[in-house]
Amino acid sequence: MADDHGLVAVTDTPPSPPSRSGETVTHDVLIVGGGIAGMESALSLGDMGYRVLLVEKAPSIGGKMVLLSKVFPTLDCASCISTPKMASTAHHPNITTLLYSEIETIRKDEHGLFRVRLRKKPTFVDWSACTGCAECEAVCTVAIPDEFNENLVARRAAHIAFPQAVPKKALVDRYGTSPCTFACPAGVKAHGYVSLVRAGRYEEAFRLHMEDAPLPGSLSRACYAPCEGSCTREGLEGTVPIRAIKRFMADRYYASHPVPEYGPPDTLRRERVAVVGSGPAGLSVAYHLARRGYPVTVFEAAPQAGGMLRYGIPAYRLPKDVVDRDILNIEALGVEIKTNTRAGSLSELTTNGFDAVFLGVGTYDGFALGVDGEELDGVMDAMDFLVQANTGRLADLSGKTVMVVGGGNSAIDPARVALRLGARKVVIQYRRSRKEMPAHDWEVDAALAEGVELRLLETPTRFLGTGGRLTTVESLGMRLGDPDASGRRRPVPVPGSERETPVDLVILTIGLKPSTSPFGDEVALNKNGTVKVDAETLQTSLPHVFAGGDAVTGPSMIAQAIGQARRAAFYMDRFLRGERLDGLRFDEPLPVVDKADALARTPGAAPRPAMTRRERSIEERLRSMVEVELPVTEEEARGGATRCLDCGGCSECHECVHACPAHAFRFDMREERIDETVASVIVATGFELFDARRKPTLGYGRFPNVISAMKMDRLLAPTRPYNAVLRPSDGKTPDNIAYVLCTGSRDCTVDHRLCSRVCCMYSLKQAQLILGALPLADVTIYHIDIRAFGKGYEEFFEQAKGMGISFVKGKVATVEEKADGGLIVTYEDIEGGGGRKRMEHDLVVLSVGLLPNREALSLFPGGQLQADDHAYVREMDEDTEPGRTSIDGVFVAGCASAARDIPDTVLHAGAAAAQTAGYLARSRRVR
Amino acid sequence: MTGGPAKDRRIGVFLCHCGGNISDYVDMEKLREAVKEELGVVEARTTMFACSDAAQQEMIDAIQKERLDGIAVASCSPKLHLFTFRAMAERAGMNPYQYVQANIREQCSWAHRGEVDKATEKAADIVRAAIAKAGLSEPLRPMRVETKPQVLVVGAGVAGLRAALALSDLGLTVYVAEREERIGGWTARLGAMFPAERRGTEMVQELERRILERENVTLFTRAEVVEKSGSVGDFSVRLRVRETESIALNVGAIVVTTGFDAYAPSDGEFGFGQDGVVTLPEFKRMLDEGEGPLARNGKPVRTATYIYCVGSRQNEEAESPNRFCSRYCCTATCHAALVASRRDKNVRQYHLFRDMRTYGKYELVYEAAARKGSVFVRWDPADPPAVSRVDGHLVVRVKDRLLGGEALEIPSDLVVLVTGMVPRENASLVNALKLPVGGDGFFNEIHPKLRPVETVVDGVFIAGAAQGPKTLAESVASSLAAVSKSAALLLKGYVDLEPFVAEVDPLRCTWCEKCTEACPYGAIEKVAADGREVARVIPSLCKGGGACVPVCPEEAIDLLGYSDREIKGMIDALAKEAVHA
Repeated sequence: MADDHGLVAVTDTPPSPPSRSGETVTHDVLIVGGGIAGMESALSLGDMGYRVLLVEKAPSIGGKMVLLSKVFPTLDCASCISTPKMASTAHHPNITTLLYSEIETIRKDEHGLFRVRLRKKPTFVDWSACTGCAECEAVCTVAIPDEFNENLVARRAAHIAFPQAVPKKALVDRYGTSPCTFACPAGVKAHGYVSLVRAGRYEEAFRLHMEDAPLPGSLSRACYAPCEGSCTREGLEGTVPIRAIKRFMADRYYASHPVPEYGPPDTLRRERVAVVGSGPAGLSVAYHLARRGYPVTVFEAAPQAGGMLRYGIPAYRLPKDVVDRDILNIEALGVEIKTNTRAGSLSELTTNGFDAVFLGVGTYDGFALGVDGEELDGVMDAMDFLVQANTGRLADLSGKTVMVVGGGNSAIDPARVALRLGARKVVIQYRRSRKEMPAHDWEVDAALAEGVELRLLETPTRFLGTGGRLTTVESLGMRLGDPDASGRRRPVPVPGSERETPVDLVILTIGLKPSTSPFGDEVALNKNGTVKVDAETLQTSLPHVFAGGDAVTGPSMIAQAIGQARRAAFYMDRFLRGERLDGLRFDEPLPVVDKADALARTPGAAPRPAMTRRERSIEERLRSMVEVELPVTEEEARGGATRCLDCGGCSECHECVHACPAHAFRFDMREERIDETVASVIVATGFELFDARRKPTLGYGRFPNVISAMKMDRLLAPTRPYNAVLRPSDGKTPDNIAYVLCTGSRDCTVDHRLCSRVCCMYSLKQAQLILGALPLADVTIYHIDIRAFGKGYEEFFEQAKGMGISFVKGKVATVEEKADGGLIVTYEDIEGGGGRKRMEHDLVVLSVGLLPNREALSLFPGGQLQADDHAYVREMDEDTEPGRTSIDGVFVAGCASAARDIPDTVLHAGAAAAQTAGYLARSRRVR
Repeated sequence: MTGGPAKDRRIGVFLCHCGGNISDYVDMEKLREAVKEELGVVEARTTMFACSDAAQQEMIDAIQKERLDGIAVASCSPKLHLFTFRAMAERAGMNPYQYVQANIREQCSWAHRGEVDKATEKAADIVRAAIAKAGLSEPLRPMRVETKPQVLVVGAGVAGLRAALALSDLGLTVYVAEREERIGGWTARLGAMFPAERRGTEMVQELERRILERENVTLFTRAEVVEKSGSVGDFSVRLRVRETESIALNVGAIVVTTGFDAYAPSDGEFGFGQDGVVTLPEFKRMLDEGEGPLARNGKPVRTATYIYCVGSRQNEEAESPNRFCSRYCCTATCHAALVASRRDKNVRQYHLFRDMRTYGKYELVYEAAARKGSVFVRWDPADPPAVSRVDGHLVVRVKDRLLGGEALEIPSDLVVLVTGMVPRENASLVNALKLPVGGDGFFNEIHPKLRPVETVVDGVFIAGAAQGPKTLAESVASSLAAVSKSAALLLKGYVDLEPFVAEVDPLRCTWCEKCTEACPYGAIEKVAADGREVARVIPSLCKGGGACVPVCPEEAIDLLGYSDREIKGMIDALAKEAVHA
């Protein structure tokens, strides 16, 4: 009895990896799936000394077993008997668990080793820091159906998978960037503040906004809200009123905080920054850099700060006290704004000790129309007109006729201002038709409502006047020709259609160009006058000078200027610290969420009554520059916010980031790819539950009180959602509960002829637990056979009968719903005299069957891992070689190869471990 | 060691906020103040999360800097983090058994929300008790037992043979002891079997061939285990082979795969004893013999009637009822019916069943039998089928529940009693190995899910139908699971046992045997000490249950890690506050 086989010597240190032809493995065994089978195999092999890599796609090990209430036939608490296994697995020195990770492929190489490609999904939490304290759950503002509770209740986007999760670590559900947030050029997290307002956390909402942009008051009035333009809710009753919500939160905050609640940073950096221009871009750069500790000086040629906010946008859209309060947000940080002060040349700024400069000049210079008489008194550029109106320098227009030339948004503001200044008649002249007008429809509508007239298909050809003063406009009629490059139909002059109109004031809105000329000698400009910059860093041709806003883009949206400022500040900070500007991206949001996916995730979402925006009456409006749009109430703001579909999952409200005592959140975490080489594989991918919607006659998915048995297990679990057995439709305690066995099993109509093995027993278990919770309830089990075949099972069945549970032999054909939520079950009463019978129940539980998890078969390329006739992983010799598959070195454990109850799964997993160990030992001896 | 906390002990106390879980309801600073002056305490501090890596490192630093010889961590339930902190103490170079966990979360803060003062007071009591225990703790070492890389497999059915091969694969030396002359058990006598139509005889021959190739497997037939001593990892076993030879083996583990017995109907049970009434095993032998249409005693079998659940699922009226379901027989019978219809497609077959338990993929066997013409009749246990002989012909009378209780008379050429599995008579083995037997007569595992092949006797594993009715595939799976557990035990070379065992003071012991009676593990033996008979605890068998401690009239027994002194110290510490209040 010589032992020439040699012991597989296993000591405290795991065996060295097998090595053939210089190939090494990272682990001896890869186990796919961390349910009870995977854990059992892992523990057996780990105890034998093999190094195990256990990969689980969920954020916790434990699989489905840990979610069960109790388990038959011993009625042990499933979590109580799962958690020790989970803890042993997690802490085993020879087992490495890789959670929240998916296998992409496993390939067997020429040395017989398995090359594994893995994808580690981002949790957005540094698990080495997370302590599982669940503070994040307490503050998270997004509710998501809790899949671990069978979607019976909601959990939070930032969450711990379930109370007994191992490891007990938080993760954040992020499906991508929500469309609203993704659309914001300023980088403001629209979804974030909407969800904070929904949660009633208005100050937090304001502060979140301030992380990205310091001008919430102005943006809440004057922004064109691309966020709303991309809102998924648009597909239902209409967009979430995001801008109105922002205005609510900003107004409310400003009402209680007349001045900012913060001051300058405690410590200041040495490097000084000059900002040229105090428009939205300049103010934002100043804000972001001041927050980082830089002393910032803003140079503003005008008498007051704010740029376009103050001078370009009429007060009826953006009241100037709001601009004032917004600017306090910047000044409170110690930013010095020098008004009535030109910055001087860039070299002067350097001489004066500024280490970096931001050029944020606006677009105040209008283009000339190139029409005779343009120089006449009474022909004005729109920007001049608006600046004068905003500074109160404009004469009364009472009785005057005003013609605004152009069809963009920039034409609407002067027209409406002119009306407010008393003009008798205000006309917008545009050379194409209304359809082609670039102005937003609602702006045009508002202007028309106030009395502005449109003169379409007409363009000015000459301004006539007497004594240098405009009296008449000569115009030419147009018709629409072929589409031009922009796709709009080109206006074509109609010969002989000239006409003259008496006009007192013409306002031209032909276009604006940046006021960059003073710096043209020092930094490179583009032909159109914009500053030449690096698109990513916004650095100009001078390394210490950055530029943004209209100076770079030409006339654009406020939000875009603010976004550029945020970007410029990021790179200016790096520049001033002497760090590299290349090799990194300023902002890399997750890809935008697909709206169809977002809607699919919220199947309950239905259109609600549309929300209307309220405005002042026209009479009231025209009397002064008073703000047209009326604020929304708290109720409206929160109500509007509750319409949010949470497209991205997490709203990026960052409450978790602030609440985490361990500072563990990492929103920049991204998917990771991992390669491993292993000597053997165990497939323990478990099963899937039958989707009872495939049996439409049973009403699952249509009738709330028809539930799946897994839901009932959650209702009965120690960590149950309601702490009671309730029926879903009305929260009533059910008195009369039916079980429909063989739902999706032994049923060729759903192409699943197999018996699922566990349903009889789990139904008996649930019935017994229900009688424990509701001693007076009636429980009826409709069955074909009661298959109580395992150790102690028949005795368990007898016990159930003894408790008064009724057994009816007969398959349920249909379930119908009554008005009160009750359910009528129709079945063939085989043993009660035969024939079709109807019975009423409060709650119907469908004992759904087990189906193969087809993911197992796609682990290996090209169908190498053979399936049996039922799409389970095929065991080549079930009788004497349990667990052995079609690939040498690959084994299967548990329900991946057949429906099994827990005891059989544990035994099978133990067998798979023995087979794997034998394979490893044999292949080592071969070497 | 002295009684009472010694002043020269150096105890560290770490009070965990649990991120508010505790600190929201317990005033942690007050708690620190309340315990920092306790005897022996040289370090008392609070921490946000004691379990976090950072906090563990801080504790390690404190243990090393302050040369702590005992610590108490006041945090959550030891269920959560006992091993976490034990490992931490070990990393710090402290004896891990001198760490004590005080549960001030589940047992205090969570239970007393909104009563900060009282909760703080209670927390202080709990922590004081833990400090007292830490102060009285003694350094313990886990007991390391060297394991023998040899395994004894008892029973050479397919489960046992397959286990032997798997153990041999892992380099372990295997001894197989089979009571019978032949190996292969029931399977060796079977023809085609479900689900793969493999022939049992061939399967056993193949296994035998492979076994004989192995140099590290020794097969003993007509061998019985007569004695076992020693403990897990190092058993001494004596076999009696061929009634004469005695063989001593030294093995690290024992796998018991002794299988089942077929139920033997009593005379008259469903007509048993009459000509033409056979059991399922007898019927299967008939199927395996010969070809063409079935015949019995030269007479063709045109109608066969199967009566299911004979000897299984018995009701309470039976003398000692087999309440259990035998699991394999529904499928085996459907499969036999298929074989019968292959031999004679015109044979009429009536299956008198109660519940058709062709579970899982076996459902297809049932379906196939039905498609081949088998007729299924469901009977009521309150009104079972009756077998009688009318004019020399067998007639089975049964009321079919599927037809509203209609009474049927089935004239039959053959009545097959579908007899199930029953526990095998194995008294001497049970006695030798101290095997636990369940209420159903089969061997009992510790827990069907957590430890399904382990018994209360560490190192003795059970598998196959000895444990309860199983199919062949299930028996093999369980025997390989037992291989896994044996290998996990033996491949490491040693086994570490928790040091919480009882200890007898030989000076006090008077060998009254009360402790041996109380010990459910047989862990106390009689030894001679200074010429007196005294009790001695066999550490590797002792589970630290403590049943022996209170029954000792001489107070001669103490439990390491939970000594009387430690427990009394804790009680005193708990009572201290009450006295002052």
